[in-house]
Amino acid sequence: MTRIETSFETLKNDVAAFYKVDKHHFITMNGVDLGNDEIEYQWFFCDYDYPCAETMFVTKANADVLVPSIGEVVASAWVAEAELADLMGVDIENADKGFMLEVDSDEAPLRKKKK
Amino acid sequence: MATQYDIPVGAQHISLLEPLHFKFTTENEKIIKTEANVGYVHRGIEQACCSKFKFRQVSFVVGRVCGLCSISHTTCYSQVAEKLMQLDISKKAKYLRMLVIELDRIHSHLLCLSHVAENSGFEALFMKTMAYREFSMEMLEAVCGNRIQYDFSIVGGVTRDLRTDVAKMVLEKLKIFKPQLDELVDIYSNNYTLGLKNKGVGVINKDDVYTLSAVGPFARAAGIPIDVRNETEDILPWKEVGFEVVTETTGDVYARNLVRLKELYVSMRIIENVINGLPEGELAVDFKGFPTGEAINRLEAPRGELFYYAKGNKTQILERLKIKAPTFSNVAAMVHGFSGNEYASAPAIIGSYDPCLSCTSR
Repeated sequence: MTRIETSFETLKNDVAAFYKVDKHHFITMNGVDLGNDEIEYQWFFCDYDYPCAETMFVTKANADVLVPSIGEVVASAWVAEAELADLMGVDIENADKGFMLEVDSDEAPLRKKKK
Repeated sequence: MATQYDIPVGAQHISLLEPLHFKFTTENEKIIKTEANVGYVHRGIEQACCSKFKFRQVSFVVGRVCGLCSISHTTCYSQVAEKLMQLDISKKAKYLRMLVIELDRIHSHLLCLSHVAENSGFEALFMKTMAYREFSMEMLEAVCGNRIQYDFSIVGGVTRDLRTDVAKMVLEKLKIFKPQLDELVDIYSNNYTLGLKNKGVGVINKDDVYTLSAVGPFARAAGIPIDVRNETEDILPWKEVGFEVVTETTGDVYARNLVRLKELYVSMRIIENVINGLPEGELAVDFKGFPTGEAINRLEAPRGELFYYAKGNKTQILERLKIKAPTFSNVAAMVHGFSGNEYASAPAIIGSYDPCLSCTSR
C-alpha cells in the first residue's frame, strides 16, 4: 500500500492529480482517533488493474477543524464522508449528519471517551 | 409540469429485506429523484472490536456483522490480523477458506435471485430458486457446523478440517445441483415475461460504475471486470482453483441476474478443484504476540469488495478496526440507478441490488 501524506489545504488537488476515474476506484474514507482530540483521516483507493495497487492519502487534524470533501473529484465519496461525520462526530464539508445514526443514538461512537 | 409525488419505501416494506429507506420523487409514475437512508441498524461492532474483545476473539465478533456473508467477514478480518502479526498460514487453510467462501457465494447469489423473482412477481420461481438453494445451506452446515454465521476462519487458519465423507457428499450434491442450475439459467435468461420485467430496467452503465465506484456483480453486470479474487492471488490462490471473472454488458437487472447465475458455475468449479486438490497441512498456525502497525485487506464477498483496516498497538485490544462492506460502496450507484425507471419496477431493482444493511450499518 502506498501512503501519501497530504493536508486539508492540498487534499483536493492531491486527490485530483492522482485519481483517474477509469483507473482507480474509491474504497472508503476512515478516521482514527489518536487521542487528545486529534484524528488521523485516511482516504483509500485501489487500481482496477491486476496486480492491484492500493493507495492511502493520510493527514492528521484537530477534531474541531472542518474536513474538506473530495466529492468534487470522487462522486461517490459523499457516502463515506456522511458515515464518518456521524461516527466520528466531526464536521465534513457538505456532509449531513444522521445518515448512519438514528437521532437517539450515542454521538460520535468511534471517538475515544475522555477519562 | 406534471405533479410530483414523494413516495417513501422502507425502512420496513414488503419488497425490502433490509432496514433501508428510499424516498422516491416521482412524476407520472417515473422516478426522477431518490434519497436513501441506511442508518437504522448501527450496532457499534467496530467500537466493540476495539474495546471489549481481544484481537483473537474479533474474528468471531465480525462473523456476526452479517448472517449471509459471515465467512467473508471472518476471513477478511483474519487475513488483516495475519498481516499485522506477519503470519503465513498453511495452503490447506487457504483452500478450506476458499471452499466455504464459494459455498457461501452460492447460497447468497441464489437468495438474491429468488428475491428478484419474487419482487418481479414470480412467486413460483422464487420458491424454486429457494428450494434449489437448500443444498448449499446443507453443505455449509456439514462443512462448518452451522447453516449461517459459521465461525470457520480464525486468525492463523481455520477451525475445522474437511471430513472425507463430507467432501464426498459435497461433490455428489454438486452433481445434483448442476442440472438445477442449468434450469434456472434457462428460466432467468429466456422467460419472456420475466425479461419484460428485468431487461432494460435499473440500468447502471460502465460510466456510472466508474464514476460511482460500484463493486461486485453490480459492476460486473455493466462490463467492468472488477473482482478482488482476480487481484489478490498472493493471499488466496484463486486462479489455481479455476477462478474466472464473469461479466455482462447491459448493466440492467437481467444482466445482474446472469452474472450471479454464471458465477455459480465458477463457484462450483472452484469447490470441486479445492476438494480434489486439497493439500495436506495444519489447520491453524500457533503464534504468540500482539498486533502492531496498520494493515488493510480486501476480499470478494458475494456482494463485492469487502475491506478491512486494522491498527494494532502491541496490546490484546486493537486500536482501530474499520469495516467497509460492499453494499456501502454501492449506495451511490443504487441511488442513481432508480432514475428514469417506473416506480413499479423499483422492487425488482432493489432485489437486484442485493443490499445488505446489517453489513453496511454494522
